[in-house]
Amino acid sequence: MNSTARPGSSIVRQLTSTPEFLPFTLLTVLVVTFAALTPNFLSQGNLSNLLAFTPELGMIALGMTVLMTSGEFDLSVGSVFGFTPVLMWTLFNEGIMPLELAMVIGLIVAVGIGFVNGWFVTRLRIPSFLVTLGMMMTVRGVALYTTSGFPQRTWRAESWLMDLVVGDFYVGGFRLYASLFWFIGFALVLGYIMTQSKFGNWIQAAGGNPIAARARGVRVSVTKTWLFMLTSFLAAYAGITSSIRVSAANPNSGTGYELEVIAMVVIGGTALAGGRGTILGTVLGVLMLRMMRNGIVLIGVPGLAYNIFIGVTILTMMALQAYLARRHPMGGG
Amino acid sequence: MATDLIQMKGIAKSYGPVTALDGVDFAVRENEIVGLLGDNGAGKSTLIKILSGTVTATRGDIFVRGQKAQIRNTTDAIALGIETIHQDSALVTQLSIARNLFLGREPTIGPGFLNRMDKRKMNEVAGRLLKEIGIKKDIPATTPISYLSGGERQAVSIARALHFDSDLIILDEPTNNLGVEETQGVLRFMRRARDTGHSLIFIAHNIHHVFQVVDRIVVLRRGKVVAEDVDPKQTTIEAVEELITGMAITQAA
Repeated sequence: MNSTARPGSSIVRQLTSTPEFLPFTLLTVLVVTFAALTPNFLSQGNLSNLLAFTPELGMIALGMTVLMTSGEFDLSVGSVFGFTPVLMWTLFNEGIMPLELAMVIGLIVAVGIGFVNGWFVTRLRIPSFLVTLGMMMTVRGVALYTTSGFPQRTWRAESWLMDLVVGDFYVGGFRLYASLFWFIGFALVLGYIMTQSKFGNWIQAAGGNPIAARARGVRVSVTKTWLFMLTSFLAAYAGITSSIRVSAANPNSGTGYELEVIAMVVIGGTALAGGRGTILGTVLGVLMLRMMRNGIVLIGVPGLAYNIFIGVTILTMMALQAYLARRHPMGGG
Repeated sequence: MATDLIQMKGIAKSYGPVTALDGVDFAVRENEIVGLLGDNGAGKSTLIKILSGTVTATRGDIFVRGQKAQIRNTTDAIALGIETIHQDSALVTQLSIARNLFLGREPTIGPGFLNRMDKRKMNEVAGRLLKEIGIKKDIPATTPISYLSGGERQAVSIARALHFDSDLIILDEPTNNLGVEETQGVLRFMRRARDTGHSLIFIAHNIHHVFQVVDRIVVLRRGKVVAEDVDPKQTTIEAVEELITGMAITQAA
């Protein structure tokens, strides 16, 4: 701790000490680089494409950000992303209930999964890594077993709900999906909760120093359980969105998303160990990793090589964050 | 003398076969600083934990101003006006001074469902408190705790207890890891808290610090009270050390 490093000593210092500084800078560099290398990158078609899938991963990342700020994380989000739409469309396709009700049931079941995660972590005091790893396999297993691995069709349905969730429309030449606005809406609400609300203060305290928080009367376990439920809800909603957009509910979809999402959140400047999180940073982190995947393909890097780029980027980001964290106690890590 | 602020009667606590406290009677009067002394394992921490709500007693009763009280958790203790400042840290280092001061009791503004913190009020009150507690350097209330020195952190903890008008402030090793000047600051603070109508329990291994500030010393040994009305002005550090270790008794026997 460097006691002379008080904020306000200089504007540059203050700017570089905000956790969003690094992801913002790198995102800018990324956009400029890709735009210079290939004109297609900033084309209408490509940007529309980018904005179609990004909100789906982004919504999971928003939930994960809040959960990680409270000192926990959730590996089961990818499975919930795949399972919830399978459940919803099975209920509908089998004629058991109307689509709207099926969606509500799907979301309730997902929130229940989040509750079970939270209960295991806070009541049985099992680390969230183990609890959510188990939940990840259980939920995925249920999705695969009940469908025998086959996707559920979604193209026969007609409902106002589908337009509301992920209907597409054109703005000028841009094809946009409603999911983009849901993503922005969720980000604004969670950003408000994290920075302005009393609950947000509790979330940060629960992750920063749970013993101190508890001693002040903060209900740490209840707070964390709510956040597990929120994370599960957002993963389920993202999964439903995705199933409608691609016209299929595949029991395998979402595999591996949990790690990609955690990478996005950490790159955005949220501390893996908890106590500090930024919704704006996560939005930047999500855009960064998505644009990188997209741009790498556009400039002609072989598809099989692109994980190398993602991996190296994550390592570089971590190193830079760690370096900034040493210079400013609040700057990272 | 009026009724005591806190009275603990016949408090016992066992952890399995281990008896940590064995029928302890302990009282704190209004406006006094009590030094609670004892060697490691004497039961000081257990007694304090029972009072601050992190541990429940196996047996015994607690009275606050003569009224029987149930302390099942920290929230109960805080509601009864009992604040505990732990030795390691009672603060969340990632959060600002103002956010720490009001943690768990954040004032809100606007419609209830918005759950919005009244940040302006929080920063205003925190700024004023920082001046009151004598942090001379100009530190904004939005500064994260991680930027503060050990003494400044203890000062923030104590300021918080003072602000919320706790009747009893329990300080568990508040002078640990502090420099000489910072220690003096904390001790000055404790006197000021007493003079403004609070009672304090001061736990420390450093008997010199205890002697400088307390009105009365209580000594625990192996889960029992061995002395409960030692006046630091009428005794010596050596005599108290003998009480703590039990050497005097062995010699007398």
